[in-house]
Amino acid sequence: MAIAIVMPRLGWTMEQGRLVEWLKKDGDAVQAGDVLLTVESDKTINEVESFDSGILRIPPDSPPPDTVMPVGTLLAYIVQPGEVAPFEQPDARQESAISVTATADTQVAAGMPRESASGPTVSTRRRGPRISPRARRVAAELGVDWNAVNGSGRTGRIIERDVRAAARLTATASPAPVLAAGEARPVTPIRRIIAQRMAESAQTAAAVTLTTEADATELVVLRDKIKASLTSRERSVPTYTDLMVKLTAVALVEHPMLNATWRGDEIVVHAQVHIGVAVDTDAGLLVPVIRDAAARSLQQIAAESTGLAEKARTRALKLDETQGGTFTITNLGMYGIDAFTPLINLPQCAILGVGRIVSKPAVHGGQVVPRAMMTLSLTFDHRVVDGGPAARFLSTVREYVEQPYLWLTR
Amino acid sequence: MKSKATGQKSVAQATNTRLDRRTSLALYRQMLVIRRCEEQLARSYQAGFIPGACHTYIGQEAVATGVCAHLRPDDAVFSTHRGHGHALAKGVSVRRVIAELFGKATGCSAGRGGSMHLFAPEVGMMGTSGIVAPCILQATGAGYSFKLLKTDRVGVAFFGDGAVNNGAFHEGLNMAAVWELPTLFVCENNMYATEVPFASATRNQDVASRAAVYGLPGVAVDGNDVIAVYKAAGEAISRARAGGGPTLIECKTYRTRPHAEGMRDAGYRTVEEIEAWKARDPIPHFRAHVMATGMASEDECDQIDAEVKTLIEDGLQFAMDSPWPDPATALDHVYSTGK
Amino acid sequence: MRELTFTAAAHEGLAEEMASDPTIFVVGEGIGRRGGNFNTTTGLYDLYGPERLRDTPICERGFVGLCVGAAMTGTRPVVDFMFIDFILDAMGELINQAAKMQYMSSGRLKMPLVLRGCIGVGGASATHHSGSYASIFVHLPGFRVVIPTTPYDAKGLLKTSIRSDDPVLFLEHKSLLNTKGPVPEGEYTVPFGQASVCRQGTDVTVVAIALMVKKTLEVCEQLVQEGISVEVIDPRTVAPLDIDTIIESVHKTGRLLIVDETFAPCAIGAEVAAQVMDRAFDDLDAPVRRLNGVQTPVPYSAPLEAAVVPQPPAIAQAIRDVVAE
Repeated sequence: MAIAIVMPRLGWTMEQGRLVEWLKKDGDAVQAGDVLLTVESDKTINEVESFDSGILRIPPDSPPPDTVMPVGTLLAYIVQPGEVAPFEQPDARQESAISVTATADTQVAAGMPRESASGPTVSTRRRGPRISPRARRVAAELGVDWNAVNGSGRTGRIIERDVRAAARLTATASPAPVLAAGEARPVTPIRRIIAQRMAESAQTAAAVTLTTEADATELVVLRDKIKASLTSRERSVPTYTDLMVKLTAVALVEHPMLNATWRGDEIVVHAQVHIGVAVDTDAGLLVPVIRDAAARSLQQIAAESTGLAEKARTRALKLDETQGGTFTITNLGMYGIDAFTPLINLPQCAILGVGRIVSKPAVHGGQVVPRAMMTLSLTFDHRVVDGGPAARFLSTVREYVEQPYLWLTR
Repeated sequence: MKSKATGQKSVAQATNTRLDRRTSLALYRQMLVIRRCEEQLARSYQAGFIPGACHTYIGQEAVATGVCAHLRPDDAVFSTHRGHGHALAKGVSVRRVIAELFGKATGCSAGRGGSMHLFAPEVGMMGTSGIVAPCILQATGAGYSFKLLKTDRVGVAFFGDGAVNNGAFHEGLNMAAVWELPTLFVCENNMYATEVPFASATRNQDVASRAAVYGLPGVAVDGNDVIAVYKAAGEAISRARAGGGPTLIECKTYRTRPHAEGMRDAGYRTVEEIEAWKARDPIPHFRAHVMATGMASEDECDQIDAEVKTLIEDGLQFAMDSPWPDPATALDHVYSTGK
Repeated sequence: MRELTFTAAAHEGLAEEMASDPTIFVVGEGIGRRGGNFNTTTGLYDLYGPERLRDTPICERGFVGLCVGAAMTGTRPVVDFMFIDFILDAMGELINQAAKMQYMSSGRLKMPLVLRGCIGVGGASATHHSGSYASIFVHLPGFRVVIPTTPYDAKGLLKTSIRSDDPVLFLEHKSLLNTKGPVPEGEYTVPFGQASVCRQGTDVTVVAIALMVKKTLEVCEQLVQEGISVEVIDPRTVAPLDIDTIIESVHKTGRLLIVDETFAPCAIGAEVAAQVMDRAFDDLDAPVRRLNGVQTPVPYSAPLEAAVVPQPPAIAQAIRDVVAE
């Protein structure tokens, strides 16, 4: 088999070499140990001996002298007498005793560690007071705003004990701690009440949830128009929750069995509609109540709900502002939620869950057009009322969402 | 199996007797295996298959062959950076040597070592080394173990003239002598420590004579004469096995290729010197001797040549076909147990 | 429980292991008939003779290299350097040979080699007899580095060291050799990689090395009077290092001081600090601090010698400083 003569690797770091000259010609007989050619690498001239005996065959397309080429580049063959050189064979595949070129490179490269790219060093200037890593962690756990804490460390650094002292000072007003993974903390009074009431609701009410989708396009139009008309007058723009409070209150007047409470041995149907609105606060879920919602104007409801929500967030609600509700609305639309199964706020009969308003293709006037759609989820207590009345109530609510003039004119 | 023939030979105790036919052919074959394997490694180096260093043993084959012919697998050999020949003569297969230089998982060091770190303790090859001279101390330590364990095993150090001016030579020979350890010190004096001539490194160039300083026998032999090496080593190893302590053998020899493949071989020695030593090539000389003494015909020698050629081709193919080591194993064996 | 000195406990560990394993032998200068400069081998020569209690020429490189070869071929050498400073002559044999042999042989060779010797500043030993060098070996793959500080640990860890198939540095602080402590009669060993919490506390963690464990414990009661509760950890082995125990302590205290009489750069304290910051940054209420010896060759005269290593008042002050951060 023909033996390939390649640009030899003549040192650990040699990657390419220059063919200086052939000392044998194509067709010359060669003995093992004869010098075949000279190669320049690293500014030195090296004689390259043949390992084998035979006849030197240099292909016509072999790189000419003075060419710089990568190690492994095929230069010639040693063939035995009578043997046809590979480049003269009919299907001249470049095959020989030792194949070099790309594979050799690949193999050499395979074990080499890659240089890791390192980005430029960025220095960031620290702002605000200095705080130890541990104090920062504890502040997060206790919900302490450490920007307002004085540090007692040697250099004024805020350390753990400063944070803990700040936490004790504001304990009565501070919101519930955010739990870090793997940590246990005592239950706060608010949490305990929520837990008791939710568990009671889940365990005792015969809760059934109905959902329906309403086309809220007109409701959106209505709110936009109110908003446009109110901006210059410094009055509260009603939120979607406010709109839902008002229209639900009107619907409840028409469906009084949903505006009822369960008292074990009697069901009380209320004359007035007092709607609780679930407010998510740092301390937990609070439900301030908007009284006599059916009788009050949208504008009054908007003003009152703004005040109540603010009081809820600052934990300034008075006891009576969270009591006496006859129905509850919980709006998770701002969190991107559609349908859900709200838990009834006992002893009330029902709770309405309001989903997000989302633009979707809908059939409107015989055509598929984008409409602002909203999902409504009604959970009711089957002990108090049956499915039919509940469904009819929800249907009314949907109508009021879709056609606001129906309740605006009541 | 082709590789079996390169396995550990236990040549009968032939010291002080004329070499028999079986021993002679085994020696010839072993030298040829080393020569052809080294030639293949030099080729493979130039072709880019050997990513690291490659120090060939061409010209010195008679030394490893003549010494290792007396060794058993449970004897311990400690070698140098020019150790392919020692590994092969001690019984490491051609396949595993070539694969190791290629960096393959099937190499005798599983790709962790390359040319300078050939390990096969299962056949008593306790490692070639990238550092000159520690092998002298380690072979002394093997002698210490074998004596303490009350065995007749021996430790053997191969090292070049470059090691004999290192402290390890002095300290090792001194301890081996004073404690009468079963250790053989084989100095392959090839006249150059890398490219530094021995004459410029020491005033007393008679390495064998240094043994007397430490109180052990010292012998100088023609390292290109496998019979001379074989006989000297046989005497020394028999003495060591019998509790007679260590011996220093200086084998005067020559490497005919550069210090390492890819290095320039000019400036420190002359072409005439190289040619003169090539003319004293141990292999053709021993082949002629074997035929002249009627121990084997030319046809029989040719038959061995053909077998060896096949063995090397098989080793090359094995190395080519072998897988790369799994990078996930890069942290294995730093400690005896886990991390 | 009976009390033994550090030296006697370690001696007992060696004697027990030599009795049970005939492949163990000791080499060193004066460890034969004489029994060792520090009584490490007293009486053993009479039991086991010169082959197993081998007095050597003064050639550390040579006999360490010999022991490397012996460990590769079926025996278990214990090199008794007397002073660990002498190990420096053998660094090539240790770093290039002993520590790499298992890896290079793909685990087919083992390296059961114990390298023991006295470390530390004290007793006007001057610069060639006062070194420690542990961190050099901690830096390198392949070594185990053991620094016992109590008689109990000296015996239990020496037995583990002798039974280990890895090269083990067993470093004995010369100022601890005559300290006494409880050592049970029966067989026991102490595993590598398990730190000891020597004293529990809540305000600050002190990781102390070698003699500094004892010196730190001496100041803890005083600090309690000042209202500072100190937790003291003795790693016992620094390679492998039980970082989990240290981190658990820092999680509790939020403050860490490492006390080591050896030099600070690239040493054990730097490593502990880096690992703690990596794994427990959010537990730290103050910067990690180190208290180290002065980076200088060790001087001879007592006042100079005392000035280059941490003394109890300096340790106490360093603890106060970390707490005040």
